[in-house]
Amino acid sequence: MTSDKTNRLGLSNLGLGVGLRTKHYAHLMKNEPVVDWFEIISENYMNNFGYARHVLEHIVSIRPVVMHGVSMSIGSTDPLNLEYLKQLKELADLVKPVWISDHLCWTGVAHLNTHDLLPLPLTLESLKHVTERVNRVQDILKRPLILENPSTYMEFQDSTLHEWEFLTELVNKTGCGLLLDVNNVFVSGFNHNFDPEHYIRNIPHKAVVQMHIAGPTDCDTYLLDTHDQPVPTQVWKLYRLAQQLTGGVSTLLEWDANIPEYEELVAEVNKAKQVLLGDFPDVPVYRSPLADGVSNPVDHQMQTVHE
Amino acid sequence: MSELANIQRWLTSIIIKPGKLGEKIRLADQFYQLNNEKVIRPSLRSSAGEKIGIYARGYVLRLMDCMTAEYPALHHLLGEELFGTFAKAYLVKKPAASPDLYDLGKNFPDFLKAAQPENREIHNTDPSMFDLPVELAKLERAISEVSRSKGLEGMEENKSIENQMLYLFGTVSFHASPCLQLLQLQFPLVDFVQAVQQGSEAQVPDEKESFIVVSRKNYIVHVHELEQWQWHFLTQFKATGNYLESAEFTAQQCDLEKSSLMADMMLWIPVAISIGYIYADSEI
Ligand SMILES: [Fe+2]
Repeated sequence: MTSDKTNRLGLSNLGLGVGLRTKHYAHLMKNEPVVDWFEIISENYMNNFGYARHVLEHIVSIRPVVMHGVSMSIGSTDPLNLEYLKQLKELADLVKPVWISDHLCWTGVAHLNTHDLLPLPLTLESLKHVTERVNRVQDILKRPLILENPSTYMEFQDSTLHEWEFLTELVNKTGCGLLLDVNNVFVSGFNHNFDPEHYIRNIPHKAVVQMHIAGPTDCDTYLLDTHDQPVPTQVWKLYRLAQQLTGGVSTLLEWDANIPEYEELVAEVNKAKQVLLGDFPDVPVYRSPLADGVSNPVDHQMQTVHE
Repeated sequence: MSELANIQRWLTSIIIKPGKLGEKIRLADQFYQLNNEKVIRPSLRSSAGEKIGIYARGYVLRLMDCMTAEYPALHHLLGEELFGTFAKAYLVKKPAASPDLYDLGKNFPDFLKAAQPENREIHNTDPSMFDLPVELAKLERAISEVSRSKGLEGMEENKSIENQMLYLFGTVSFHASPCLQLLQLQFPLVDFVQAVQQGSEAQVPDEKESFIVVSRKNYIVHVHELEQWQWHFLTQFKATGNYLESAEFTAQQCDLEKSSLMADMMLWIPVAISIGYIYADSEI
């Protein structure tokens, strides 16, 4: 799969992975993980010294692990949360992640945290602001930061750059890596009426270190990034294109609500192998009759193991 | 303030404040001197307001899911609607500030307590209406804290102590587990919480004083009801770290002969060690 396009900031292609989720802890403590690697939600383990950390230590001892955060708030106009970065670094000392990622977004301002991934106006002002902060974070973490394109539901009138242009500039100015969420490109493409293929063709492929795949929900007038469904055919098609353009990078299936049993999860991510051969599963985008879907669900982080 | 900072304050305020979306947008537009239609690009399918609404709705749903995950028994007791009313009011009073989702529900028991009517004695109200939810919230919060805080795991265990009762001779030093939590409640809620966890039928208990310990050993969280003297002993021991003084204090509190208490303790201490309420230093 390697080609001269491949670079990935010198980071390896870990293969096919899944998110480490509480629901599968018991299974994973007794069984082979089968998948090549795991992604954790960093915040779920930062102040957690219970069973979750025990499971994490086990997983770290048998598979490569990547730390994926949701609260760095790299685009916020609040000062960088240095306490958060300190805790993130402490966790990294334990996990020794292959890389650390977060999102091109902000989560709140005035010290509030909406626990959502909010979009930025894609302006030169934002670009300058985010560039400075990425550089500072990279200095603190002493490694490149890998940033994910979020799914978005609004665009700003002031935006002068397309998201792919913004990311390209950011990569050029900071040397950060990209986590390309092809499902988010699909979701945002529908919501903002751009061609997701065009987006994927126009990001800096050498900087792509990882991809996310997931299943969204069709809410009629918009698509919502619910992470609670199998990956639909259209997302698989974008995934294959992105893998071809990047020369092959680590793939992670996100499934955060309605989480299936472990075997089903593994079967879903393994579909990627067929997809790369051009064999696409026939899965429509899930349509919800109710407006109760949650984008970026986070409550899966909160489960207790009882006697 | 920069343009970007102003827009972020404007959007955060709309998302986090309670009320009808249209009204929230109008107030924020006024306060931050912005016009939502000039900030957010409408599309053929949705207006600027509708797009903001996706985020505003998502915020409440997402955090309500977190509150339900931390307080499942309380959710079960109150039902979706009443739990939702309290949890939403709480999120308005204490909007999320920390990256740690477990900080979100931290003050919920206190919030419920403060939400009780001041003049409830005059109305002679049934305590189960007000105290029961508060106590259940306290217990569930204790469980979630114990499940995450630093505990005994990883500490070297001194196996020789359990049988030999060396503590009687003052040759071993004991400590309360760092994650131990003790609650004195007016309702015996252990069975209720466990039934909800297991998905079996949860019976709301009658009022009865209850002494509860929440502990963790080998990463398993234990929630148990204690004898009154056991609870007083552990509470005092956790505070002072002094074994003999705590025994004396307990004898006084519970009006027991010290000798008979010590006899009971001899039998109980090995249990307390095995379940992780207390532990012995590995150095003798
Ligand atoms: Fe993602």
